[in-house]
Amino acid sequence: MLLGLVRADAGTARFDGARYEDLAHPSGQVGAVLEDASFHPGRTGRNHLRVLATAGGHPAERVADVLAQVDLSAAADRRVKGYSMGMRQRLAIAAALLGDPNVLILDEPANGLDPPGIRWMRDLLRAQAGRGRAVLVSSHLLSEVAQSVDDIVVIARGALRASGPLAGVLGSSDGPVTRVRSIEAERLATLLRERDIASEPEGSGALLVRGAPEAVGEIAANHRVALVELVTVSRSLEDAFFELTEAGS
Amino acid sequence: MKVLLAAELLKLRTTRTFVAVAAVAVATSMLIAGLTSLLSEPSEESVLTDVFTSDTSSLFILILAIVGISGEWRHRTITSSLLAAPDRLRFLAAKTLAFAAAGLILSLLISIAVAILGFALLSSRDLPVPEGAELAAQIGRNAIVAALLGGFGVGIGVLVRNQPVAIVGVLVLSFAVEPAVLGLVPDVGRFGPFVALPVGVQDVPAADVGFEDIRPLSPALATLALLGWLSASFAAGYALLRRRDLD
Repeated sequence: MLLGLVRADAGTARFDGARYEDLAHPSGQVGAVLEDASFHPGRTGRNHLRVLATAGGHPAERVADVLAQVDLSAAADRRVKGYSMGMRQRLAIAAALLGDPNVLILDEPANGLDPPGIRWMRDLLRAQAGRGRAVLVSSHLLSEVAQSVDDIVVIARGALRASGPLAGVLGSSDGPVTRVRSIEAERLATLLRERDIASEPEGSGALLVRGAPEAVGEIAANHRVALVELVTVSRSLEDAFFELTEAGS
Repeated sequence: MKVLLAAELLKLRTTRTFVAVAAVAVATSMLIAGLTSLLSEPSEESVLTDVFTSDTSSLFILILAIVGISGEWRHRTITSSLLAAPDRLRFLAAKTLAFAAAGLILSLLISIAVAILGFALLSSRDLPVPEGAELAAQIGRNAIVAALLGGFGVGIGVLVRNQPVAIVGVLVLSFAVEPAVLGLVPDVGRFGPFVALPVGVQDVPAADVGFEDIRPLSPALATLALLGWLSASFAAGYALLRRRDLD
């Protein structure tokens, strides 16, 4: 819908105030990698990019530049049908980078990439963001997303469930949770209860406390309770996702 | 528009299908012209249409155009094409012009090759050869047919995305349905885009293609009618492409 490939039931998506199809230089302003990117199997990687560069009005030299950027220069003159999935994904990314756009939209960019490829992709996206570009990643690989992004938007069944900085979305809706471990766990639990701070034992001297670590640490220090662990417990993005999406269903 | 046209021509040039089909078109045209020049004895009146209309580029460019546009769906490259050129009208126009241009160029190349071969063989047998101006006009008419059918093929390929169905359908229409209509209802059949109108544009006597009693349209009218088919297929194809979701 953002790119005008699928019609929206309502509303419009705009880049700098214009729909994608109305942009003066679409591929120079927005680069996109779609899930399951496809290529003519008989055309070489270089020719695929030459066609797109020509259609987008980009200089021919950009083809060699982006091929080098995605580490495909050596395979550029091979037919795409001989490429691995990872190579195809790199070629799709090269196509998105052809116009050196300020906005990158990537749908499942880690598809087909091996672990070094995923790390390469993460570094590439961070580098693009570091240059002031907007990078929008759509993915179901939540652990991967959690390692890459600054802000997150959770959409489920067509409705916006959460958006904002990653840390904010990952924070528990019931306030901070702290894991504290002490050889005097029972005494600490009593002290916390006296201050109306709930906790539950986790075993091995650990307590899961509904409260910030600062408050737990202060109580322990004031009563000279020795601690061996005091950490904030963060939800994983997957936990947050399920909590957000199940809450609305 | 120029960059889109250049991109479409580049797509054509960088696939083996185009090169292979063009080579087959050249080979079959040369073979027909060569055999006709060697085995028949054309008169001064018939030599032009007997030997120098053996350009088969129109059929091949029609098939190539169908393959070219339907291949965008088959290989799912339509999304990257429309990301580079999101205005679907301009995309389709560029595709149509590219195949029209390819048909024109292919036909000119074939016609020139056929002319050289035909002149050489006919002269060696002391048979009549056409006037230069007549031959040039014939080459032009051949090229018009190839250009119009190239564009028409794009319209067909947008309307029928399934590549095998589109190709087989066009072959059935060309070799079975249209000749049958031409034989049974000549007044309707002479407006057929695959046989009757190309024959009309090329100014070939209907008897030369097996229809003794048919009166083809004049070259000018046939050209207009074929342009009408192209325009109708383009308009219908665009209407479909415009509202088609690509997910």
